[in-house]
Amino acid sequence: MMPTKVRLNVNGTVREIDAAPDTPLLYVLRNDLGLNGPKYGCGLGECGTCTVLIDGIAARSCVIPIEGCVGRDIVTLEGLGSREHPDAVQQAFITEQAAQCGYCLNGMIMTTKALLNINPNPSEAEIAQALQYNLCRCGAHIEIMRAALRAAGQIAEVGD
Amino acid sequence: MTSTADNAADRAERQGSLSVVRPADADQSGFETFIKITADGSVSAYNGHVDLGTGIRTALGQIVAEELDVSFARVVIVLGDTSRVPNQGATIASETIQIIAVPLRKAAAQARQFLISRAAERLELPIADLTIEDGLIRGHDNRSVSYGELIGDETIRLGLADDMPVKAVGSYSIVGQSVPRVDLPAKATGELVYVHDVRVPGMLHGRVVRPPYAGVDAGPFVGTSLIAVDEASVRDIPGLIAVVTSGDFIGVVAEREENAIKAAARLKVEWKPVPTLPDLDDLETALRANPSTPRTLLDKGDVDTAIAGAARPMRRTYTWPYQMHASMGPSCAVADYSEGCIRVWSGTQNPHVLRSDLAQLMDRPESAVEIIRLEAAGCYGRNCADDVSADALLLSRAVGRPVRVQLTREQEHAWEPKGTAQLIDVNGGLNADDSVAAYDFATRYPSNGAPTLALLLTGKVAPIPAVFEMGDRTAIPPYDYDNMRVVAHDMPPIVRASWFRGVSALPNSFAHESYIDELATEAGVDPIEYRLRYLKDERAIDLVNAVAERAGWTPRPVREEKEGDIVHGRGFAYALYVHSKFPGYGAAWSAWIADVAVNKTTGDVSVTRVVAGQDSGLMINPDGVRHQIQGNVIQSTSRALMEEVSFERGKVATREWGAYPIIKFPELPRIDVLMLPRQDQPPLGVGESASVPSAAAIANAIFDATGVRFREPPFTPERILEGLRGQAPARQKALATPPMPKPSSIWKNPFVRSRGVFATVGALCAAVVGIGAAMLPGRAIAPIAQPDASVYSTATIARGAELAALGNCAVCHTAADGALNAGGRALETPFGIIYSTNITPDVATGIGAWSLPAFERAMREGIHRDGRHLYPAFPYTHFAKTSEADLLALYAYLMAQAPVRATAPENTLAFPFSVRPLLAAWNALFHQAEPFKPNPAKSEAWNRGAYLVEALGHCSACHSPRNTLGAEKVGAYLAGGLAEGWEAPPLTSLSHAPIPWSEDELYAYLRTGESRFHGVAAGPMAPIVKDLAALPDQDIRAMAVYLASFGDKPPDTVAQDALATRLERETRVTLAASAGARLYQGACAVCHEVAGLPLFGSRPSLALNSNLHSAIPDNLIQVILHGIAKPAFGDLGYMPAFKDSMSDAQVAELVSFLRQQFAPDKPEWGDLAGAVGRVRASR
Repeated sequence: MMPTKVRLNVNGTVREIDAAPDTPLLYVLRNDLGLNGPKYGCGLGECGTCTVLIDGIAARSCVIPIEGCVGRDIVTLEGLGSREHPDAVQQAFITEQAAQCGYCLNGMIMTTKALLNINPNPSEAEIAQALQYNLCRCGAHIEIMRAALRAAGQIAEVGD
Repeated sequence: MTSTADNAADRAERQGSLSVVRPADADQSGFETFIKITADGSVSAYNGHVDLGTGIRTALGQIVAEELDVSFARVVIVLGDTSRVPNQGATIASETIQIIAVPLRKAAAQARQFLISRAAERLELPIADLTIEDGLIRGHDNRSVSYGELIGDETIRLGLADDMPVKAVGSYSIVGQSVPRVDLPAKATGELVYVHDVRVPGMLHGRVVRPPYAGVDAGPFVGTSLIAVDEASVRDIPGLIAVVTSGDFIGVVAEREENAIKAAARLKVEWKPVPTLPDLDDLETALRANPSTPRTLLDKGDVDTAIAGAARPMRRTYTWPYQMHASMGPSCAVADYSEGCIRVWSGTQNPHVLRSDLAQLMDRPESAVEIIRLEAAGCYGRNCADDVSADALLLSRAVGRPVRVQLTREQEHAWEPKGTAQLIDVNGGLNADDSVAAYDFATRYPSNGAPTLALLLTGKVAPIPAVFEMGDRTAIPPYDYDNMRVVAHDMPPIVRASWFRGVSALPNSFAHESYIDELATEAGVDPIEYRLRYLKDERAIDLVNAVAERAGWTPRPVREEKEGDIVHGRGFAYALYVHSKFPGYGAAWSAWIADVAVNKTTGDVSVTRVVAGQDSGLMINPDGVRHQIQGNVIQSTSRALMEEVSFERGKVATREWGAYPIIKFPELPRIDVLMLPRQDQPPLGVGESASVPSAAAIANAIFDATGVRFREPPFTPERILEGLRGQAPARQKALATPPMPKPSSIWKNPFVRSRGVFATVGALCAAVVGIGAAMLPGRAIAPIAQPDASVYSTATIARGAELAALGNCAVCHTAADGALNAGGRALETPFGIIYSTNITPDVATGIGAWSLPAFERAMREGIHRDGRHLYPAFPYTHFAKTSEADLLALYAYLMAQAPVRATAPENTLAFPFSVRPLLAAWNALFHQAEPFKPNPAKSEAWNRGAYLVEALGHCSACHSPRNTLGAEKVGAYLAGGLAEGWEAPPLTSLSHAPIPWSEDELYAYLRTGESRFHGVAAGPMAPIVKDLAALPDQDIRAMAVYLASFGDKPPDTVAQDALATRLERETRVTLAASAGARLYQGACAVCHEVAGLPLFGSRPSLALNSNLHSAIPDNLIQVILHGIAKPAFGDLGYMPAFKDSMSDAQVAELVSFLRQQFAPDKPEWGDLAGAVGRVRASR
């Protein structure tokens, strides 16, 4: 497919992209917009490292072409917050030290965010179900579960 | 402390500094820096090892800050860049903290000693009177001087002294405290962290194409199998820069990443056939057959005599499978080749080794190569990080610009050097007094060379397998048996393999700890008590006792038989991970108590709880140690329960996460970490130790639960059932494919008149006449000069556009990536390939010269303007029913399009189908060129629907079966047919769907592209639904009314919902008990599981999907292989294609599972492998 101009709304800003309409969103986010949050993991939607939010719903950006994203709100990890002003979910993951290598972290944070959008008070089992198709190889699952619970306001102690 | 040292390094160039260095090489021409303090007070510390995601950057920062008496925040740790850090070898064997950090710590102490001495002179006070706080040295009189001031503009270089005293542990204030990881805020907010994120000016994107001998790196065919690359096959890809080949190395480079991906996928490559490789389905046989050299590691007492005299001899064999590092991020690198300097940004585990490899690959000195090390996805050993660095460099050299190469998931899975299979024989037994008679241990470990792939593929290094002495890690058991012999059978690799967390120690310990459990059982002694009889190491004994106490271990001399379907058990294992070159040294001590629940009916094993105890010596960062223990417990539980590389004809067959599942959140054990306080002891490596007892603890627990001993991980449900039943699992035999059900004739096309006997005879006569007239040209209709669409009203043209959409003209008359309606699309028919024609108003190549009567004749009679017969792939048998007014509107629309000059390729039809005049006979037999006549007995909506469906809509052209001459069977109306390799399913009461089609569901499907009870429009149906968007709702409703009239009366909506819920509940997947089920869980469930977390797009329910209930598997196979790249509407979402990620056998296993699981009342599909091959070949 030949490149055409595609307008995407990413992290609240409209961006004009010069790419073939069948280009997976992931490559446009990373290469055209310089966003490092979403990661390439499998290209098949299996592992979840590329997760972004589209209209508030978790989306695996490696299997969604940009032509399917026109007119929708795309939010990446960078759109949640920054090191100086992290979003509550990002802060919960930092507080709980919920990563080892951190490659899966984007997907874990974005999926938690998507879960909390539809279920602000998930149980531990609901979190495990929601995150089960986000893979982590380092075995940081325990800390990730705690981070998700903390993000849901279920671990409150300060400075823990 | 920040994660980058660039700014500090720049400033450091221009100001005074204090460095602690050592000579870089024997001739002392260069030096390596450990510590550098600059006049502004900043501290950089350099370490040759890298952070593999374990947090050593943080721990090293603590060590330096402690010894230097500066704040942790002041220290910048530089890891792995070859131009800046000491060469300290590969980051392996958990030795960074234990060994590699020792000189760094001494260097920090040395710098502090130098500075405090200088301060004592400057302040004229004895050293003993000085205190240091964050680099500020203060006397008792409150006068102070900072490190920076002491350095001033001097350049001070100290040679690293080996005998430098370091701080006493008791005085530590930073080491031993839990410190948050310094790297996480950047990682949690998407800052540039990983090698994957590196972008340099002018950078291009590369992809590689790997040879067909997936995962095999030794043998004469390696590097010599490429026959040809067809560069023309990718020439049309925009921004393609180069196709690069060298030996068996192939790469493509493009301006944009997605185009490099397309080029790699599309590039036509011809390879020699792969020779017969060792069969790895039976690992034990394969490992015994692999040539080996015995190396005796220990021979104590008289083993042979002791075994001969044993009261109860016991010979056991333990088999470990091939496993994968399985990094979450496939490896990536950026290389920039120039004559002056070669720079490579890499996620390598061993920067200095890689530098040497790349120098060899480029025929350049090592000094010309600089490796800049960035973090990558956790690797737990060696993955493809080095390979991809070399790939990028080859491509950069070829194109003269920086190139980034990202390996695909499939390439990383197939080619990463595997954690190797291992075979361990233990002979021994018990004496009459239940003591251990002897322990004769022999281990086979086919690893560990794995030269950087590009060196092999380009022929730089000969593909001869090297034998490494790596099978000996922890080969000596921790138990002091009187008669003991330990032999490592060193052997070359069989498939590409390299170290993986725990290296050979994990399998060796699996054997040690399983065997002593078996001995204890035989002896009738509690397994922990029995171990303690032979364990002499005091710290080990303390740990074992502490873990037993923490878990509440109840001594059990005799195993208790468990009742019920789900049985529980508890197992113990202990190991001191001994690593590095034999005899090596110990890392942290580790012990596990694992609790399991085993479902005896399904074979499912859950590890419910693990108490993991560890003696790590001094813990630099206790939270970091805890995370390492938890990570090891989770990862090694995953390895023990489910991980195994599968092979097809000796080649790696696991290429995605369905074929190689790893543990998921709901499967996690509860973990209780016990860390012994040993802060007064030297620090020990903690990166691997807690993995080592895992598999044995779990196997021992499964034995406790079931009474059956499992000696070959992974403990999958199939293997457990096999063990419990003492036989091979009962495999369900596939039945032969049932024939397509004979379409019932209950539905006849209501608009085809039955011919009487005479009419048929008449038609046959006409057919004969047609054949007789075969040589005569038809009557041409005179061309018109130029179409003039201006005579038609805008409303007429708009109406025509709607009708063109209803007729899906563009679907057939537009080639992939071609101009709308300009023809050239290949239509595969049973009789050959027909190319659609150009129906834009171009006079020379399209229909610009066609008058309205010529157009009308083509639509009604199937005759070209020039008199030639058109093939009935053009459905004029349906279009004939179109009203005059609609044909006029359609003509107006077509003539109002922009003309496109395009000539379609010639058809390739077999004789006699290539003889067009024979179509006159066909028409006489099968075509009734009569306009639509409504049925007065039916409703207005029904008649409207009938007109839309039967005329331009031509639904039955695909959805009715055809006879041998390609005509729709009149007596099997809408009973299901085939189109472009897809099944067009029956739409009548013959539908296979568990919930019959209703008017509402037909409407929903045609309007939105999805019916919740049938699935989404895919394949050739997706563009049809997309076109139908042009029609108003009432027309779609009319089509639904008409089509529903051929179906069974569906149950009411409440009953439909109840049925749907029941079907979904009954077919819920709760267990991964077969390869097919695991493929489903890894690849499909994320989007198809009922009630999963909503993901962008629809969530088609497999239990209800028509395709899973059909008589043939074609649509299911089609959608798995090719996905849904072009859904009817974007809201439906997209499905990836698995054709390059799964083998035919894997797709067949998946399809077989899906059928059994989601359509349990339907017969199995037979010969699925054949069907997959057929569907794959059809595109």
